[in-house]
Amino acid sequence: MANIAAQRIQREFREVIKSEEVAKCHIKLELKNDEYTELKGEIAGPPDTPYDGGVFQLDIIIPETYPFNPPKVKFITKIWHPNISSVTGAICLDILKDQWAAAMTLRTVLLSLQALLSAAEPDDPQDAVVARQYKEQQSVFRQTAKHWTYIYAKGPHREAELEAKVSQLRGMGFEEHKARVALSTCDWNIQRATDHLIS
Amino acid sequence: MYRQKLYASLKQLFKKNTMAEAAPSSSGAPSSSPGASNSIPDEETNGTYDCNICLDIAKDTVVTFCGHLFCWPCLHQWLSTRPDRQMCPVCKAGISKEKVIPIYGRGSTDNKDPREKLPPRPSAQRSEPENNSSFGNFNMGNLQFSFGIGAFPFTFFASNFNLGDARPGNPSAGTQQHQEERVLSQIFLFVAMFFAIWLIIA
Repeated sequence: MANIAAQRIQREFREVIKSEEVAKCHIKLELKNDEYTELKGEIAGPPDTPYDGGVFQLDIIIPETYPFNPPKVKFITKIWHPNISSVTGAICLDILKDQWAAAMTLRTVLLSLQALLSAAEPDDPQDAVVARQYKEQQSVFRQTAKHWTYIYAKGPHREAELEAKVSQLRGMGFEEHKARVALSTCDWNIQRATDHLIS
Repeated sequence: MYRQKLYASLKQLFKKNTMAEAAPSSSGAPSSSPGASNSIPDEETNGTYDCNICLDIAKDTVVTFCGHLFCWPCLHQWLSTRPDRQMCPVCKAGISKEKVIPIYGRGSTDNKDPREKLPPRPSAQRSEPENNSSFGNFNMGNLQFSFGIGAFPFTFFASNFNLGDARPGNPSAGTQQHQEERVLSQIFLFVAMFFAIWLIIA
């Protein structure tokens, strides 16, 4: 069975390389080893979203039972999104679980993930904290997501106000990423974030 | 191997490509064979009859009612991977083993497939022109009725009175196996008697 998996990935790999999405730099796929079991994906943040202009890297592991079971995909790049864990990068997307179909390919998976960045599903969250913010404070969520895209995904939009708050907490001796997570979690309220970090 | 030859001859027919002569000798290893370099342009031009699962030219071809083409081994594995959710891998329409149509191309009958261990393709459905279903049903019921009564005494006698005994010899008396078999046969006799009495009363 490993044979059919490797053969198919070879074909899919060629398909992705030739696809017009690669030509337009929307998606990218790289091999990590010669056995076609581990790949690195890359998707561009879709326009008109807080992720616009960012580049998000993905870790793709092909199971031996591929394509009868879905590939294991997670974000390497840290991202603030209701359906993606801000801690582990784990993705909550139905086609990577029970809605997988054997005719889907790595190309369609990458495009689906891009679509997920455009249209979050806060009612089926992976990260409950992000999902709550998405539902209750949409503008704070957008700012936070933009900030994370700028910091971790080479995004173009700086959020100077948020950066100042992060450096303020850093000045208090907290590690930068932890400070950012605490502030993001506490809707950028410095007092609450400090309490959160201490507790 | 056969498939590759077929593929090669198709290539000759459609593309009039002299390179195809190299393909029949290929050993099936795609990386080193001379046919491998040909396979990339082939995919571009000729993907219409590729299996939607292995993305290769379909073998033991079947088509679903929703019109999607697969190798039968691929589709069978897909269906057996998720027995609770039987859906088309392309369009997610409901499908089942009974609801796929095999495709018989010319020359497919003498195709000696080495993978006979795989479950055979479902057979095509061919309905007879005249309708005689009521007669068939009657026959069926009659057969079942006579079997139920007729078989009982034979099995009863055969199992309890050891008529035409062709089984291995009884273990010698006194051993544990002998004891166990005696107990077992008594239990079976009791069950059989009970069943007989129950039949008579009912």
